[in-house]
Amino acid sequence: METFSAPSSVMRRIPTLLRAGALVLACLLPACVGTIGGSSEDQAAVQSIPERSAFPRLTHAQWENSVRDVLRLEARPGFSASFTGDPLGGVFDNNEAVLSVTPNLWADYQRAAEELAALVVSDPAKVDALVPADEGQGNEARARAFIETVGKRAYRRPLTGQEVDKLVALFNEAPSLIEGDPFLAGVEHVLSAFFQSPHFIYRVEGTREPRPDGLIPLGAYERASRLSYLLWNTMPDDVLFEAAAAGELDTKEGLRTHAERMLADPQARDVVLAFHRQLFDWRKFEDLYKDPAVFPEFVPEIGKDLVREAELFVEDVVFEQEGGLTELLTSRTAFVNDRLAGIYEVDAPNGAEFGKVELDAEKRSGILTRAGFLAANGTARASDPIHRGVFVNLRVLCARLPPPPNNVPPLPPVEGKTTREIVASHTGKGTCGASCHGTLINPAGFAFENYDAIGRYRSEDNGFPVDAADAYPLGGGMVNFSDANTWSQLLAESREANECFAKNWLEFAYGRDAVVEDAKLIATLGEASRTGMSVKELLLELISSDAFSTRRPVEVAP
Amino acid sequence: MNRRHLLRGLFGVSLALPFLESFSPRKAEAGAGDVPPFAIFMRQANGVVQQTNDEPEMFWPSQTGALTTESLNAESDRTVSELSAYASRLLLVKGINFAFPGNGCGHSGGGNQCLTAQKVSTDPVGNESLAMGESIDNRIARELNAAGVEPLTLYAGKKAGYINEVLSYRDAKVIRAAEHNPINAYKALFGLSDLDPEVLKRLAAQRKSVNDLVREQMQSLMSRKELGKADRDRLDLHFQSIRDLEIGLQCALTKEEVAAMEVMSPDARSNDNLEKVARMQMDIIALAMACGTTRAATIQIGDGNDSTEYYINGVRQKSFHKISHRIDSDGSEGPPIEGAYLLHHEIDRIHARMFRYLLDKLAAYDFGSGSLLDFGVAVWLNDLGNKYHSYTDVPYVLVGGANGYLKTGQYVDVNGVHNGRLLGTIGAALGCKNAAGGPLDDFGDPELPKGMLTEIIA
Repeated sequence: METFSAPSSVMRRIPTLLRAGALVLACLLPACVGTIGGSSEDQAAVQSIPERSAFPRLTHAQWENSVRDVLRLEARPGFSASFTGDPLGGVFDNNEAVLSVTPNLWADYQRAAEELAALVVSDPAKVDALVPADEGQGNEARARAFIETVGKRAYRRPLTGQEVDKLVALFNEAPSLIEGDPFLAGVEHVLSAFFQSPHFIYRVEGTREPRPDGLIPLGAYERASRLSYLLWNTMPDDVLFEAAAAGELDTKEGLRTHAERMLADPQARDVVLAFHRQLFDWRKFEDLYKDPAVFPEFVPEIGKDLVREAELFVEDVVFEQEGGLTELLTSRTAFVNDRLAGIYEVDAPNGAEFGKVELDAEKRSGILTRAGFLAANGTARASDPIHRGVFVNLRVLCARLPPPPNNVPPLPPVEGKTTREIVASHTGKGTCGASCHGTLINPAGFAFENYDAIGRYRSEDNGFPVDAADAYPLGGGMVNFSDANTWSQLLAESREANECFAKNWLEFAYGRDAVVEDAKLIATLGEASRTGMSVKELLLELISSDAFSTRRPVEVAP
Repeated sequence: MNRRHLLRGLFGVSLALPFLESFSPRKAEAGAGDVPPFAIFMRQANGVVQQTNDEPEMFWPSQTGALTTESLNAESDRTVSELSAYASRLLLVKGINFAFPGNGCGHSGGGNQCLTAQKVSTDPVGNESLAMGESIDNRIARELNAAGVEPLTLYAGKKAGYINEVLSYRDAKVIRAAEHNPINAYKALFGLSDLDPEVLKRLAAQRKSVNDLVREQMQSLMSRKELGKADRDRLDLHFQSIRDLEIGLQCALTKEEVAAMEVMSPDARSNDNLEKVARMQMDIIALAMACGTTRAATIQIGDGNDSTEYYINGVRQKSFHKISHRIDSDGSEGPPIEGAYLLHHEIDRIHARMFRYLLDKLAAYDFGSGSLLDFGVAVWLNDLGNKYHSYTDVPYVLVGGANGYLKTGQYVDVNGVHNGRLLGTIGAALGCKNAAGGPLDDFGDPELPKGMLTEIIA
């Protein structure tokens, strides 16, 4: 069968020929990835990074955060809750390819801008935070100062003289359009214009002179924006603006220094959690149905508990342990409240509040052995090895599974057998579904047969002993594991899972699909991750890359 | 001022005096032709219970030919009998197929094709596959709406994330997001309806002032020499999206209806509100057509492989998707659901009744020479055929003759025609043209045989 490839970092949008080559290689030698793009060393620098949009649109979350910071509000205004949504664009919500300003969204932006502006001028304290006090300098000078300071935040760069002049003209036109105090009318009108400007809606990146190697270094303010939206999901703060002005972001070392400062800020935690929330699909946790007759302890509140547990775990791994994928897959530290404690067979140290515990080393490993993942990939009553296996293949190993057949007959219910035996009899070796299920999906899911539909540990399934052992193609050969603990350990040590983790971080950090030009960077980061690089360090490496701080010249549209 | 002039005002000509009273169903003085024909598409997922090798016919009438209320009522065990009151305006079309195979996920591939008649993408594949061309609602809006006016793209139900929207495509692989929350949809279209005329005039001037500046900024960005194609398309779409406020006839639902939408807002996606939300969205669609806001609308019921748990006789059922597979699982594992085909049939009827609500709404706008329903066509379609998730015999139920263009009051079996022909004929009924200026007879993938679906033309 050539319809599937072994786990690989091969990405969407790799030219067909290259991909076909990868498939053939994969079939001969499973997990032979990293070969794609391996010859890029002798390619020109300009071909080492992909072309990308010069107009990535703010996500709705970035719009909220940016509005808050432009206006110096204490909280996000919340207006985007009623914005028209964006289509799905892969795993993450910030893929520049699908973020467009459609007529509906433009109308949303317009209405929100007008309401925000009216909100500000209705509150003298909010106005005072944006407009210099009247010290006899005259309204024109005050208007100009307001436009320059707030405009710099809205456009995330200093305004040109011409831009300021046009906005001053808009300010002066306002009293004929808006009733009430003429100065406030100007403030309202200009604020409304700021939030409807393409310079606010997009992170506009302009052309610059190329370096000798052909790549175009981003301008200082463009770097500041890339950095702040990556690490804080919002616009640059004053420190970053000053650093841009002082040229501190012009070098990779300077970028790194500021990135380190920003990683220590609580806002970076939200970004790290957002990555894991989307990669591990925590949203699903809150909408789980388990048969109450079988699992009376699975009360509705558990959904939120599972999300909170996952958040605390990831925060601990990334920020307390300074860990990476290895810790994510193997750490036994957990955070439980009284509702979750029963699932893990531990005492809740803080009762109804979450408290830190160490889980049984025989029974649990990292994130894949936690109730959230296991319950989200379990049916109402049973474990669900197929979906668990598909998830690990797609999200942890970046395996390219072929799509499932169109019409799958149901598994026959068989009395007196385990879930594994039923699934295997239908999909495993020797059946029509053998190619994918037998080799890739079933083993990756059978590893979790020690956990029931809500993630409780079990030694027996349906009265028969659980068998969680199997083999999977990793690192060019078949590797054997005995259960989810050893499987998680093998994943943590594998090139495939570490490259996949790096690829996902790259897509999230850069807000675009990973493409063939990224293969070398992914291979490098994957190897570093495999040998112990932390998530924080991975982020710093992504920031130090040319793909972060330069642009490839654009092939001009006809 | 008589209604004729008021309605004329909707289609571009600004009126001297904004019409601020609620545009609720009423008798009007206008003659036929005052409302340009429009099309509304309501999509159901998961196929219907129609005859297969092991299940009986429960959807179509037993005989093709003329339809009457009596003939439909006589077969009350068939789903379409729910629409018997509309027999004379009904056009049942059996024998429509999707021309192309799916690409790994039947639901996704069906959704890709049902309004596009285009191939299914090879990248992405599976449940992420996309259509390789625009959908008919987009074509209608692009060709017949004022510049920059979108087709209305609405949604009822939850979005479970496996497949969300499936219907409306701007272009190959560019799907349009659907609005799931009625109050958002309503405000976007009619949010200024209750403003005082003077306030409205001032707002229009404010917007014009900002728009002029924004357009200038956009043009400056678009005039850059080094623009890639994706960025150019992105900026073009944005630029086209900027519109000035036209002070014309203001249309509005009643305060009570709007208040109910406000109340619904936080729970608009919840399972149990699907039918209520669908009806609210249909209120908006009917108003939009009455006011000439757009010429095409879609409403998607449920997510891609509709996982809604519908209520039958007050009992919450398993997810429709599972019922459509006849097993208690979304995957391949699970015990049979007893009587699943009967449950599926009841869910078909729920869809028929939601569709009937739309028809009732459209019929209630009476323009003297005919109701709004007669000026347009409402289509209830599916993205699959039957429980096998087949791409053949995909049911299309049309109501309304598009101002006399379509031959209603009949049930036809066209015996295996690709759906591009049906969609193109609907487009032609509204006035869409092919490249040569003739009626739209080549909608969909260029490989498809061209031609109109003459069986449904009056």
